[in-house]
Amino acid sequence: MTPPEQQAIRIKRLFRKTRFGIFVLFGAIVFATSTLSIRTVSSQLQEEYESNSANIAKNIADSSVDILLNRNLATLQSLIDQFIEIQSIRYIYITSDTGEILTHTFVPGVPDVIREGDPHATEPIERSLPGMGDFVEVGSPILAGQAGTVHVGMDLDLVRLKIQRATGQQIALICIILIVGVLGSIWFVKLAVTPLEELLSYVVGLARRDPGGMTDARVLARDDEIGEMARLMLHAVKGETTPGAD
Amino acid sequence: MSGSRKGTQPSDGPPVPDRDPARAAPPPGGLLTRRSAIRAGLAGLLGAPFATSLGASTRPLAPGLRWSGKQGTQPDDEILLGVSAAFSGPSRGLGTELYRGAMSCFGQVNEQGGVNGRRIVLKLYDDGYQPDPCVENTLRLMLEDEVFLLFGYVGTPTVTRVLPLLKKFQDQQMYIFFPFTGAQPQREPPYGEFAFNLRASYGQETAGLVDNFVRIGRRRIAVFYQADAYGRSGWAGVRAALARHGETIAGEATYRRGTQFTSVMRPQVEILQEAEPDAVICVGAYAACAAFARDAMDLGLHVPIANLSFVGSENLLALLMDASSDDPAYYTPWLVNSQVVPSYEDTSIPAVPEYRDLMTRYDPQVPEELVVEPYDPFPYSFTSLEGYLDAKLLTEILGRIDGTPERSKLNDAVFSVRNYDLGIGERVSFGPDRRQGLQSVYYTVVEDGRFVTLSDWDAKFGLDATTSDGAP
Repeated sequence: MTPPEQQAIRIKRLFRKTRFGIFVLFGAIVFATSTLSIRTVSSQLQEEYESNSANIAKNIADSSVDILLNRNLATLQSLIDQFIEIQSIRYIYITSDTGEILTHTFVPGVPDVIREGDPHATEPIERSLPGMGDFVEVGSPILAGQAGTVHVGMDLDLVRLKIQRATGQQIALICIILIVGVLGSIWFVKLAVTPLEELLSYVVGLARRDPGGMTDARVLARDDEIGEMARLMLHAVKGETTPGAD
Repeated sequence: MSGSRKGTQPSDGPPVPDRDPARAAPPPGGLLTRRSAIRAGLAGLLGAPFATSLGASTRPLAPGLRWSGKQGTQPDDEILLGVSAAFSGPSRGLGTELYRGAMSCFGQVNEQGGVNGRRIVLKLYDDGYQPDPCVENTLRLMLEDEVFLLFGYVGTPTVTRVLPLLKKFQDQQMYIFFPFTGAQPQREPPYGEFAFNLRASYGQETAGLVDNFVRIGRRRIAVFYQADAYGRSGWAGVRAALARHGETIAGEATYRRGTQFTSVMRPQVEILQEAEPDAVICVGAYAACAAFARDAMDLGLHVPIANLSFVGSENLLALLMDASSDDPAYYTPWLVNSQVVPSYEDTSIPAVPEYRDLMTRYDPQVPEELVVEPYDPFPYSFTSLEGYLDAKLLTEILGRIDGTPERSKLNDAVFSVRNYDLGIGERVSFGPDRRQGLQSVYYTVVEDGRFVTLSDWDAKFGLDATTSDGAP
């Protein structure tokens, strides 16, 4: 391998290292951003859904007082049926102060897990109902628990799906930014490398004392650092070959 | 449901100009369709007594609708009643039969000159037994069509969602008359003042069933019910009735509204089988209840299966008899249905021959624009008899309004009904604290492919009356 060819390879290696560095840098940014984004979106959405469910439970509890005291269970059922149409809310049931399930939305029947659960629980509970899926259940007392408790079950699978979709969208955006960034960086590096390759080629011509190469007008005409270096090298070479020249 | 406003309005004479330009407007395109033109012409020529007008519930409700301020004043020649009922879907038989019964009465009334010279016209919308369409239809009936009152509504989940609307517009004194539901919300505060009921309540029906079952020793009673306000109303009735006997509901299973007869009810049957009930009370519509009765029989749950009046007994029976080609009676021996009107087979009851005569004479059909699924109506049915009685009583009430019909006069007209003989043996009275006309509940079982009055519970369903092969 001739020395000029080695120099050309060195520039390619330099370029490859730069490209690798860009990939590593952007990859690290994507990984860190995605991880943070997934954790943030996941926890925020989970909190938001739980908060929504709690609000719905409270809303029903506030609306149910008169209805419950009037023992109008048909109206109460009509009320919870309207809330069950809200996405991600999969079941609602209302227990009396004695723990009896007064109204619910389960089909074909109330699962045993629910029957055996704490009828007055208000803290979020994760439940796995056979044949139905995983749920987070939140409760809200009616008339401070004196009239009963509203329980709202949120579909965890659906929430997980929504979280996955939201984080997926974020990651997709970050990946697009990564690709655009890497391609842009490569292009910019290439902008810098191309004149260097031209300079190298010119210098090789000078070294060979190639008459055509020595007067390569394209490189010498450049008004940037490459052009200055080319002119400087030409000047140095001419000084070597012209005795008495200063 | 028709998606267009066709303006077909058969009348009892030449077509009567519509008082409302919007209602009288031709369909999109600017012209009457050929079919509707022919129909209108034929109706005029034949002097058809049926006065119906169709709505288009698929059209979006205009935003910002307000009352017109007419306070329900009706034009000189008609009284417009607003109907939103199930004319499509698995419960279409109920809306259809109720309408047929009512129109057999109104047909005669219109043929005889109407109520104080005014024809009774029904503005029809289909809600498919679904609450949201029913609410939209009701708003349209009140605000756009400016009906005089609401009539012929079908179902608890639908009516319970309409009641708050009536309260919201209470200044306009809009009332719902004789809805086909026995639920409590329209019988008690805060909405009771906006409804007048004729039929007995689900509480009375379930109490009667529970009392009879307990009396013959069947104390473990389970409930199969629709997962909505109707089902809950019946469930609450059973629970309250059992509590009076010191019992609780032995087991319960639910189904979703709109379930078809082809659906499998095995999970529900198995849930109830675990409870080992002595009887099951079903609170549902005919398609689902028939599916449950079929699967209960097939899976060996051989106990009395009771249905409430809302079920639509003839529709239920037809499905079950068709389901067993070898023996049409195979699925029916355990059925017992409560009814809120007497048997249409008992012609000794004065109203029954009247009803049968009018049903035969007019044979009212739901306007074809509303028919989206085939349905073969029954010549007579409990539901159409109830529709007939509803219409008969409403005609009487409308006739008691002095002068121009105005909604502000309705309360007085209704409360003037005291010991009115509707022709079924039980007299009807209304008052400020009495907004339900009838209290009686009747019980029927299937014999020879039809529902007949159950006279001896013990002999039919007593624990000792069961044969070795499990049949009652």
